[in-house]
Parts: sequence; structure tokens; C-alpha cells
Amino acid sequence: MSGCKAKHPAAAPAYLSGLEPPATGQRVEMEGVTYKIAAPRGIDPGTIFFVQVDTEKCMGCGECESHCPTGAIQEMHPDGQRGIVDPVACVNCGQCLANCPYGAIHEEVSYVGEILEKLRDPDTVVVSMPAPAVRYGLGECFGMPTGTYVGGKMHTALRRLGFGLIWDNEWTADVTIMEEGTELLERVKHGNKPLPQFTSCCPGWVKFAETFYPDLNEHLSTCKSPIAMLGPLAKTYGAEQSGIAGKKMYTVSIMPCVAKKFEGLRPEMNASGHRDIDATINTRELAWLIKQAGIDFVNLPEEEPDPALGMSTGAATIFGTSGGVMEAALRLAYEVLSGDTLANPDIKVVRTHEGINTADIPVPNFGTVKVAVVSGLQNAAKLCDEVRAGKSSYHFIEVMTCPGGCVNGGGQPLEPGMLQSSLFRSTIAKINRRYTQRRVG
Amino acid sequence: MKNIATMSRRGFIKLAGFTCGYAVLGFNMTREAVASTLEFIGIRQQSVYDADRKVYAIRKSQENPMIKKLYAKDGFLHEGPCGHESHHLLHTHYSDRSAGLKALKAKGVKLAL
Repeated sequence: MSGCKAKHPAAAPAYLSGLEPPATGQRVEMEGVTYKIAAPRGIDPGTIFFVQVDTEKCMGCGECESHCPTGAIQEMHPDGQRGIVDPVACVNCGQCLANCPYGAIHEEVSYVGEILEKLRDPDTVVVSMPAPAVRYGLGECFGMPTGTYVGGKMHTALRRLGFGLIWDNEWTADVTIMEEGTELLERVKHGNKPLPQFTSCCPGWVKFAETFYPDLNEHLSTCKSPIAMLGPLAKTYGAEQSGIAGKKMYTVSIMPCVAKKFEGLRPEMNASGHRDIDATINTRELAWLIKQAGIDFVNLPEEEPDPALGMSTGAATIFGTSGGVMEAALRLAYEVLSGDTLANPDIKVVRTHEGINTADIPVPNFGTVKVAVVSGLQNAAKLCDEVRAGKSSYHFIEVMTCPGGCVNGGGQPLEPGMLQSSLFRSTIAKINRRYTQRRVG
Repeated sequence: MKNIATMSRRGFIKLAGFTCGYAVLGFNMTREAVASTLEFIGIRQQSVYDADRKVYAIRKSQENPMIKKLYAKDGFLHEGPCGHESHHLLHTHYSDRSAGLKALKAKGVKLAL
């Protein structure tokens, strides 16, 4: 378990040697979603459209609009087709994309081309950094039942794809609990910063808070999200542990999310002395890479990630669902505040499906910890208004943009029912449209 | 529509039947669609909690040996969580992005919030 001398391959990995990376600007369909191959660098992410509507495919049904928390996607064309009015108003959650019945919304940023090039470059060590929720969605792309846990197979697949260091973002979820838990305890004990403390793991929520509630910035935990912690730790501590220089590393953040592409491009993410996160992809893009490499995913053996920056706990994996960060933080806070051991780590009262869930947690030798868990930004806005009005009595509030949390993220495999109905409905809609056009014309 | 008083009995029953049929069918289809989405998210969430209990040997972050090693006296973050090096690498600050939003609203764009 001490350190990890990486056994990264000297030559190009066999699986990918015959594979031509798609060219910049090319459009590639991955798991039912169209991606534009583009790897932005050094650009203000606030000016980029991460998702956009294909007006040719849009039928103007307005389903996307009903799932958009900010109203950034709206009717922009005479035939009722939708579009995103301005990147300023969009939090990049991708819920519009995941809920479009016509598959009319695509992603404008995809690093897969660049990643394939880096995997073939003998001077670069590609580092894997998958989020907790990815391992509960990836299997669906290979015909496995909804929600199947494929953590071990995912690590094996990443190794076979030619990733030199299999590190895991779950490890920094554990680091986040240590940092964010300590920060909360400082706020409670010393009052150096205002309460309630909001979580800062979800990049859609952070952009939402910065845009719509900038006066509450002091309430946001100063902790970076787990992935924004793993980037700099990989290139400093990880370099020390593995003996591979930080500048040789190419870090790939693998997320159930579209908004993480925005976060990876934030200019301040360079604490390691390099870009902390070199590329960000989501679950669908990882599935595409595995399929391109011809790996038989379902029959893969299960492997462990490389230690030091890979080993994780149950507290880390529950980051993937709404209420998970709260439960993981409480598993720490309870022990620190009470001085006792928490016999049963299940804190079921904070587990939640959707909407707002509040709970009072009795902690011996301290009193009551008041918490709120919320998913869906329209719901979060209600709690923000309370905080703004000075009427919030909570200590800690967890916010996730996507209803249900990261497992339902905008970068996860689409619901199979949605994919099928999308094909059926778009065909019907096309016939209808042609018929109306002919009649009018 | 024809006046209901002049409508034949048969016609009325037919109309009522269709109306009820569509109402029940429509309601059920909507309910099923909503339920299937909720169920879908619920299954993934349940899988997360199952893994927490069954797959992971350790269930608290503070008990992860690699976390203990990171924060140990001779470790990389030896000052402990929220120490000096932690602040440099692991903490951040936030910006005020509301100016762009104000400009957008000034142009007359309506948003949900």
C-alpha cells in the first residue's frame, strides 16, 4: 500500500493503436448524443455554449424549457424551436439534453480527440479521475441493468485504454469531507464565517450561486469540489508518490456531468503550477472510448485503482446521490463534535429523492445540527431566499443541481425509454411537420 | 358542437365514453412516464447505498488509511485539514457573475428567476 510506482505502458496501448482520433470540429454521436470535437484551452468558460439546440431536429415541444432551472433555454425561432439565449444564464447542467424527447440537444465541447492523441504520446502519462456516479451509470451503455455498480470493471477498462495512472476522484471525495467538515466545524465553533455553509461540489450550483446570488458567496464552502482537489493533488502529491513529474501528467476528469467541463476551464484552477485539469469528459464519452477500443466491458475482471490517490470509502461513493455529501460529512462531524464513535454510519434521514429535505441531527455533547438537502435549483433558490432574508436556521445545506444528484447528471447515459421514444417521436414529428409544411406551402 | 339537448342519446354516450377514455388514458400515461423517470433515478440511488454497505470495507472518510497518511505528522498535508498547504491547493474563492445577467435582463430577455 505504500506509494505507487506506476507501471504505465512504454508503447501505445494495443487497443487504441489502430484508432484515428476524430478531427477538431467533427461531429460524433456517442450513446445517443451528438458531440462536437473541440478541446478549448485558456478561454473564459463563461463565454462558451456547452450545450446547444439543433434547430433542424427541435420540434418546439418545450420539454427542455420545463427542465431548465434558470430559463436559459427558450423559444427563439418563429416555428417554436428552442435555443440557449446566452451562456451567462446557462448553468450547463444538461438536464435539457437528458430530457429532450427528440435528441435535438448536443454538446459543444468534447476532449475525446485530444485524449486519444495523449494516450498515444509516449512522453505523456494520462491520469484517470472518475467521479463516484460514473460507476453507477457506465454499465447501462453495455446493456447491464440500470444502476449496476461497475467500479472494478471501470478501473480495468481505464488501464486497458492506456491510462498510466488509475487514480480515483472518490479518494478526493474523502479529502473533501476532511476539508469541508473541518471548515464547517470552524464556522460553528468560531463564527469566523457566516452560517449556513453551502456545499461547493456541484459546478452547476456554484455557477448558479455566483450568477443569481453573488451576495451569498461567503456562505459557499471555500473547498474546491473533489475533482478540483484531485487535479492539483495529482500533480504535486501524486508526482511525489509515483515518481512521475507533474508536467508529464495529463489529467482526465471523468464525470456524470456537463457543467464539470466549465469547472475544469476555470482560470484559477492552476494551483499545482500547471493546469490542474487537462480534460473533462462524461460517462457517455467514456463508454464511447471503451467501445471504440473494442473492449468487452461486461466480461472484464475487476481491478483496484492505484493506491495513495485511489483508495476510497463508502462515504466517498455516496457523493453520487443527493444527500450523500451531507451524510458523509455527518459521519465525520458527529464523531468530532461528540467525541464518540458513530456505531451505525447509516444516517437515513438525509437521504432524498428530490425537492427539499430538512433534518435535525441530535449530537451528544453538542446539541442539534440542523441540515437541509436539496436537489433541483428552483428548490435551492427557495433556500437561498431564506438565507438572504436572514431567516435560515440551518448549519449546513447540500445543493445538487440535478434532481436526485449526480447519478441523474446531464452527462449520464440517457434513460433507455427516452432513447426509444425519442426515435419513435422524432419520426412521427418529422412526418407531421412535412405534412403541415406541404399544406401551408 | 351541436346543442347537447338536440343530441341523440347514443351520441351523448359515445361522446362521454370517448371523453372519459381519453382522460383516464392520458392521466395514466402521464403518471407512468413520471413514475418511470422517478423509478429510474431511484434504482441508481439505491445502487449507491447498496455499494456503500456491501462493496466498501471502510465507510467513514476519516478511517481511510490513505487519508490518514495524507494528513499524518510526516504526511503531505501535515498541518491537517484547512492548513496552509490545504488552502493553497484545495480551497478557492468565488466571483460575482451577476453583471452579465443584469446586461441580459436590460436587453429585455426574460428568465425563470
